[in-house]
Amino acid sequence: MIHVHELAKHYSDLRRGRFVALGGISFSARPGEIYGLLGPNGAGKTTALRILSTVLKPTGGTALINSCDVVKQPALVRQQIGFISANTAVYDRMTGWEMVEYFGRLHGIEREELRFRMESLFERLKMNDVRDVLGAKMSTGMKQKVSIARAMIHDPPVLIFDEATSGLDVLVARTVLNIVAMLRDQGKCVVFSTHIMREAEKLCDRVAVMYRGQFLTEGTLDELRERHGERDLEELFFQLVSQRDESALRLAS
Amino acid sequence: MKLSNVRLILVREVCDQLRDRRTLFMIAVLPIVLYPLLGMSMLQVTQFMQERPTRVLVIGAERLPASPVLFQDKQFAHDLFAGGKSELLETYFAPDTGTPSRDNGLALVQAGTFEAALYFPRDFAARLEAFRKAIALKHPSVQPGEEVRLEVPNPEIIYNAADEKSQVTFARLSEVLRRWSDRIGEDNLKATGVSARAMRPFYVGAADVADVQSRSGALWSKILPVLMLLWALTGAFYPAIDLCAGEKERGTLETLLSSPAQRSEIVLGKLLTVMLFSILTAVLNLVSVGITGSMILARMSDMGMPPPVAIVALVIALVPIAALFSALCLALAAFAKSTREGQYYLMPLLLVTMPLVILPMSPGVELNLGNSLIPVTGLVLLLRNVLEGDYWLAVRYLPGVAVATSLACLMAIRWAVNQFNSESVLFRESERLDLGLWLRHLWRERPATPTAAMAVCCGVAILLLNFFASFSLPAPEGFAGFVRMAFVTQVAVIAVPVLLLTMFLTASPRQALSLNWPAWRTLPLAALLAVALHPAATELQSLVRYLYPVGDNVLPALERLQAMFREANVWALVFVIALVPAICEELAFRGFLLSGFRRLGKCRGILYSALFFGLTHGVLQQSLIASLLGVLLGYLAVQGRSILPGVVFHLCHNALLVINTRITSAMLPDWPQLRAWIIALPDGGCLFPLPVVVSGFLLAALVLIRFQKLGDDGQQANRVMESVVPGLPATLSSPCSSPGVGAS
Repeated sequence: MIHVHELAKHYSDLRRGRFVALGGISFSARPGEIYGLLGPNGAGKTTALRILSTVLKPTGGTALINSCDVVKQPALVRQQIGFISANTAVYDRMTGWEMVEYFGRLHGIEREELRFRMESLFERLKMNDVRDVLGAKMSTGMKQKVSIARAMIHDPPVLIFDEATSGLDVLVARTVLNIVAMLRDQGKCVVFSTHIMREAEKLCDRVAVMYRGQFLTEGTLDELRERHGERDLEELFFQLVSQRDESALRLAS
Repeated sequence: MKLSNVRLILVREVCDQLRDRRTLFMIAVLPIVLYPLLGMSMLQVTQFMQERPTRVLVIGAERLPASPVLFQDKQFAHDLFAGGKSELLETYFAPDTGTPSRDNGLALVQAGTFEAALYFPRDFAARLEAFRKAIALKHPSVQPGEEVRLEVPNPEIIYNAADEKSQVTFARLSEVLRRWSDRIGEDNLKATGVSARAMRPFYVGAADVADVQSRSGALWSKILPVLMLLWALTGAFYPAIDLCAGEKERGTLETLLSSPAQRSEIVLGKLLTVMLFSILTAVLNLVSVGITGSMILARMSDMGMPPPVAIVALVIALVPIAALFSALCLALAAFAKSTREGQYYLMPLLLVTMPLVILPMSPGVELNLGNSLIPVTGLVLLLRNVLEGDYWLAVRYLPGVAVATSLACLMAIRWAVNQFNSESVLFRESERLDLGLWLRHLWRERPATPTAAMAVCCGVAILLLNFFASFSLPAPEGFAGFVRMAFVTQVAVIAVPVLLLTMFLTASPRQALSLNWPAWRTLPLAALLAVALHPAATELQSLVRYLYPVGDNVLPALERLQAMFREANVWALVFVIALVPAICEELAFRGFLLSGFRRLGKCRGILYSALFFGLTHGVLQQSLIASLLGVLLGYLAVQGRSILPGVVFHLCHNALLVINTRITSAMLPDWPQLRAWIIALPDGGCLFPLPVVVSGFLLAALVLIRFQKLGDDGQQANRVMESVVPGLPATLSSPCSSPGVGAS
């Protein structure tokens, strides 16, 4: 469903000069699977997912979503994905219903069909109470639900969640995680990035640990535990990162 | 592009804006409330200003003659005022307030105790009486037709020009004293037996051919276009900021970018929204000011509403103007990271557009071919002519205005689309500026050749230095002074900053300044090109002078300069006008600036460096020609991969212009064979017959083709070199380096 090969992104920055945000990552994700990108802030998760959602263009490598290339067929790719991130907010001066309707219409869904889908989606996500509430008046949890509904309205085979639980309280975060699990059970291919180990442990079928634009390791949780001889994902993560920092220091000296 | 998506985005953005109270206030409430309030307060303020009395100290009132009276009951005589309002000048008499000296009056006015003082000198009445008698008695010393030599000392008004109330008082006092002195004059005439009408046998009558309609047209034509432009800009600016910077700030832009809507659909939807609000704001303001204005005018005079045709013209003109301003605002707003940052851009935007709006307001600026080609200005002038009822002139220049306006519109829209396609603009991080860190970064990572941003900085630095130098350097006296000033300007303003920037900002000064040794053939070819193009260059000069005549204020200075050149040593002239600029300007514009701008591509590189080259020349007429030459010089530098062919061309071109001014028709008899080639003018300078211009042009085209070939050969050679010597700088070897490198 998703095939990423040697995906890279460099840009020049006033402060850091030529900066490598993504140093050539490769992975694949299948339908009915949650693929987790685990890494601290600045690891390159958002860059990678923005490239998958065609908002950014890569400087190297390829990414195929449902056999569509993100560089050559961005319009087709956008039809097949739902993108939810900490940065994809809802409009302040639109109600929940209007917001989802707007994106449904942009996807070219017919009016009757759209109404039917929206009714069932609002029912399923238990968000009938935000139908007529303006974005500005919604709580953070409500907003995130609307965002998810907005991303699901065209029933895409691929869903991308970029730090979708950051800034949410425990209850709302749990609801979001439940929705993600539900999507997997429906056979969707989900890419889920987070810096919270517990979430990755609970949810993801396969995980890649990202640091400074590179994958440090990649595989199912059991594979990782076996490969690095560490049961606890958090410990495993710190071990990998400190190994990486030490080798970088050695190289520099 | 799907139009249904554009419509969807447009409808959503419009609804969104209409739900925003600030926008509603700006476009609907403000204009409806503003003008009636403004009109009301203006009426009140003017009344208040006119009715206020001011204080006058009178020194030496006892020295006044008994007749005609200036003061009645301790006030200025009632009948000396046009409206009879003598109470507007409150009088205080010096004997009552202290010592009656002039210095006293000066001090009191200075201190602001009185708005003005009126001083009558010693013996004023006595000397006036003596004068009157001298005339009346036909004093023996006075011959017929001769003036009476007896002098009357002048009374004096002491006032303070820095104080507005004092100025008003001065005007009132002058008027009163003029009438009084007229009256004395009439008395004098009567005393000599001449009729009082001898002094003013007739009054000048005036007949105004303008009817009410054209008078009100003239008035409206000054107000409405400017008002329309201002509000079209304001009406575009705030929604644009909300639609771009606001969306970025609130995080909804990324939501939209990841939706199926294409970038072009998003830009068009937003552009149409901004345009709609720009038009709405302008129309509402025009309607409001029209209604309020005509009500006030109707009360004060017999003028009325602007003519209906003018209103139609205004609305039609509003569409392209709104498109232009909307695209500009959208591009700026897309660049801004937050609404706060966006609002900072209003001032620079106004600074750029205001001169274009104000220029047509200046007296004497009329619609002609040159002005019609300036964006915004041309349109305002056209509208003015329509409002004044001069439709024929407007129709004649309509094509020029339409071309210039649509070109500006297209460029602005392209800019906006580019902004939306640029990742570095859409996902710009806000950075804290640390000057030390930044400078260290600049030094540590200085590239071999300058970046486009460095080129812009260098160009702007030269422009600023040039501006300040033109004010701080004294006007040259004599030719030696001129040589010194021209030399200092070239070296200090152009060469030194460029060399300093090259040393500090780039790692390879030779590459940065394009100081390579070109193929030797390029040098004679460049000289030949200058010679071949000389006739066309002189024609171009005359054409530009015809389109944009030199202003009357510059003309004398220019003529003085030309007269000086005719006297000067020709070699000294060639040195200072041809050789020095050829070296300094080429180092700057085809060296540093072109190397920097070439990172944006060959064509843009040549164009931008030429633009700065033109701007540095200050005077519009020179700037236009210099920009065109800049394109040619840029091409020579790119194809020759060196600034040297440009130096040779620049030197020959300028030298030929100098020599041209020295040829007079008096010289031609010595060289009769030249007569077929040139038309010499009696006071210096020569033009060329059309066949010479055309054949020169053709020859130049051949030379340029040769240059093209040389350039291509050079690139092939470079590619071979590259394969042998890896690491040869790509910026110099490839004609179009990849865009965007180092631009973010």
